[in-house]
This record gives sequence, C-alpha cells and structure tokens, in this order.
Amino acid sequence: MRTRRNPIYKRILGEIEREVQFHPRYADLQNQFALLWMVEGEMEEAENHFLEALRLNPKYREAILNLGFLHIEMRRWKEAEEIFLSEVKRHPRDGSLHHVLGILYLQAGREKEAAARIHKSIRYHSYYRDYYKKKKVWQKGGVHLHPKAERTLKKTHLNHHYAHFHNFIGLYLAKKGKSAQAVKELRKAARLKPDEFIFHANLGTVYAYQGAYPKAIHEYQKALEIDPFYGLGYANLSYIYGLMRRTHEALRYMKKAVQMNPRYADLHYNLALLYSDRKRYEEAAFELKKALRINPNYLFARINLGVLYEDQKRWKEARREYRKILKVTPDDEHIRKRLERIS
Amino acid sequence: MLKEDFVIQSNLRRLLIRSSIDYSRMDFGTVKGVVYMRGIFQVSLSSKDKEEEKMKNLTINTLYSLEKKVRSIPGVSDVIFQFLNWRKEKGQWIPIDVKTVEAKQREEADENKTESNL
Repeated sequence: MRTRRNPIYKRILGEIEREVQFHPRYADLQNQFALLWMVEGEMEEAENHFLEALRLNPKYREAILNLGFLHIEMRRWKEAEEIFLSEVKRHPRDGSLHHVLGILYLQAGREKEAAARIHKSIRYHSYYRDYYKKKKVWQKGGVHLHPKAERTLKKTHLNHHYAHFHNFIGLYLAKKGKSAQAVKELRKAARLKPDEFIFHANLGTVYAYQGAYPKAIHEYQKALEIDPFYGLGYANLSYIYGLMRRTHEALRYMKKAVQMNPRYADLHYNLALLYSDRKRYEEAAFELKKALRINPNYLFARINLGVLYEDQKRWKEARREYRKILKVTPDDEHIRKRLERIS
Repeated sequence: MLKEDFVIQSNLRRLLIRSSIDYSRMDFGTVKGVVYMRGIFQVSLSSKDKEEEKMKNLTINTLYSLEKKVRSIPGVSDVIFQFLNWRKEKGQWIPIDVKTVEAKQREEADENKTESNL
C-alpha cells in the first residue's frame, strides 16, 4: 500500500521520526511511526516498529491488530491468522475480528472458512449484516461469495490501516490547532471504517472544538450507537449541551455518564453542578459527597458543598467544610470571608 | 446575569482545549460564578529548545490571556488562581519554585504528624 504523496503526511513522518529518536521507549510512538511507514509503502520498516511497540508493551492491542493487517498485506497468511485467531479467543463475540478472518481466508483461497467467518461477523455485529447485504454477499440468510464481491472484499483489509492512518493524522493536526484539516482526515477515517466508534468520537471532539455543536452531537451519538458502553461519550455530549446552554439534555447525559463511570469523581462533580443550578440541592449534595468519597482531596467539591450548605442555611455544616478547605489553602480569601460571614 | 456553573464549567473546558495550556496537571471548578484554578500551570510547548527567559515571558502572556478569557465567559464574576508554580501579586505574575513549595508542604505534613504523635 502506498498513499498519494502528500506534503503534510511527509512532514508529520519527519516530526514523528524526531520524536521517536527522542523517546524510543514510547510504544505509542513506535506504533504511529510504523503506521506512517506502512502508508509510505515501507513494509519492513513498518514491521520493525510494530514489533518494537509490542516489545515495549506486549498487550498493546492496536499494535497487535496493525501487525496482523500488515501480515495480510504482505500475504503472510499464517502469521496473520495466528494473530487474529488469538484475538478471537480473547473476544469471541467481536464481529469485526470474524470479518477480518473472513477476508484473510478469502485472500488465502480458503472459501469455506471465509464464508463461516463472514456468517459469524453478521451474527455478532449488526453493522456487518447491512455491509454484506449491500455487497450482495448476505442473501436469504446465507453467505454467497460471487466473484465480484470477492474482488472488492479482498481489498478491504487496507481500510483498517488507512482508517487508522487518517485518524492519527487527524488527531495530530487537531493538537496543532489545525481543526479544518483535522476534520477532513477524521472524516476519511470514519468513511473507511464506519463501525469504529472512536473515529466518530474524535470527529465529535474536533467539531466541538470548532464550535460546530450540532455536528459534534451527531458524531457522538453515532459513536454511542456503535458502543453504548462508551461512558465518556455521554459526558462529552453533556458538555456540548452545556456549551449550548441546553442544561436539560446536559443533565440527562451526565446522569448516564455517571452511571457508566461511577468511580469518576469529576463526573459526580459536574452532575452536582447541574443539580445545583436547578436548585436541586439534596441531589447536588449527594453527588458532591460521592465525589469527595472517591477523592477526599477534591477541593472544588468541598467548596461547592460548603456553599450549598450555606444556601440552605445549614451554617454548622458550611463552617465545617470551609474550615477543612482553609486547612489545605489558608490563603483563600474568598473562603475566609465566607467563613467570617457565617461565624 | 444568570450564573449557571455547569455552563461556565463547559466553557472553561473548551477554552483550555483550544489554548496552548498543558492542563494535565491543573484542576478547575466553578462556585456560584467564581472560577477556581489550581495545580501546576504550564504551556504545552516543548521547553527543550526554548530559552528560559522566552519561556517565562510566553507563560506570563498565556496567564494574562487566560485570565482575560475566563473573565469574558458569561456569568463569571471572579477568578481565583491557586497555582503551585505561579502567583499573582499586585497585578504581576511571579514564578514560584515548585520544588520549594513541595518541600514546604512535606515539612508541614511532617510537623502535623509530629504534633499528632505528641
């Protein structure tokens, strides 16, 4: 595989190369570097860096999958099969892994096994039912591998790499503040692999950064349709609604985020703010106490709790919280004044 | 002005994401329109090839700009900075040696421990 020479990609490759020299022990960097080499068409270089990423972190799933796809591209079926079969053992209901194995067997000329894997991918992931229906491979409840479909399917393993490549470039550009270019890259990634929730979530983040809130909401909702257990997706949706001053929806999504991630003090804190803004003081105090139970040093949660008690004229409890805060930050004049006022 | 703390908090989050601030070691909160910021303040540029004086000026400018932007968020009535490595005195930002602060904190903790032991 080799992508059209793009000066931005070339420049990023150079920048990552410098970073790898600076931090050779970062598995993440090694994986990204390998991805860039692969898109440049330098397979051996790519393999070396994927292997280095895995030497540094043997459980690095993205690098494992990338290496598997690289082996498919290099037509090293046995090695690719080993990787994906071991992943299927770990995640037997992951439709995308069965789909990849189907493609692999198809390329290796093992049609029967390919059909069985495609069947499994359809069973475990509704996205693949529609996908294979469109390709006319899934018809009347069975898999039919006709020559035209085979030709297209054989190339689809490349989508994984290109999608991850564009996602990486998109995130890299977003970090540099180039959000318009980042959106272009992330959209390419989501087009190539529409069933990957993280591409939609990243796109949502960049749209939110740009202030394109309806688009951001649309992408986050897509991400959550694909992975309803993506807890931080609900929190991000809540923040976007907050930016739009639509606190009713913000509250609904933050509640869901807390439900999915009950150990995140920050989410309890934000839920408390939403309750407190609506003067639902009891629920706000409950969430703040939860945040403080998770992180007793969460100073803002304690300040909010003190103010909340003050609002409810529960002076004793308010004083107790303010005194605790002043032990940590004795120079906080705001809190000192608040304490003096109610002492 | 309606003070909705969650709306302010969402705006703060977006402001930090869009800035050149490394907010990984920073916390922020909102209490009835008063914004609190704590922790270590750093700009996200790599300092390895920057001169110390230039970095210092860049950080000071970023701090002034941050304060201005936070104050311009609708509903914000005040901003309280409690950074460990920067303090504002008489309108001027002054760097603090974090190591000294951390050592002082450890010393205080030890003193408390000794007092409680007694």
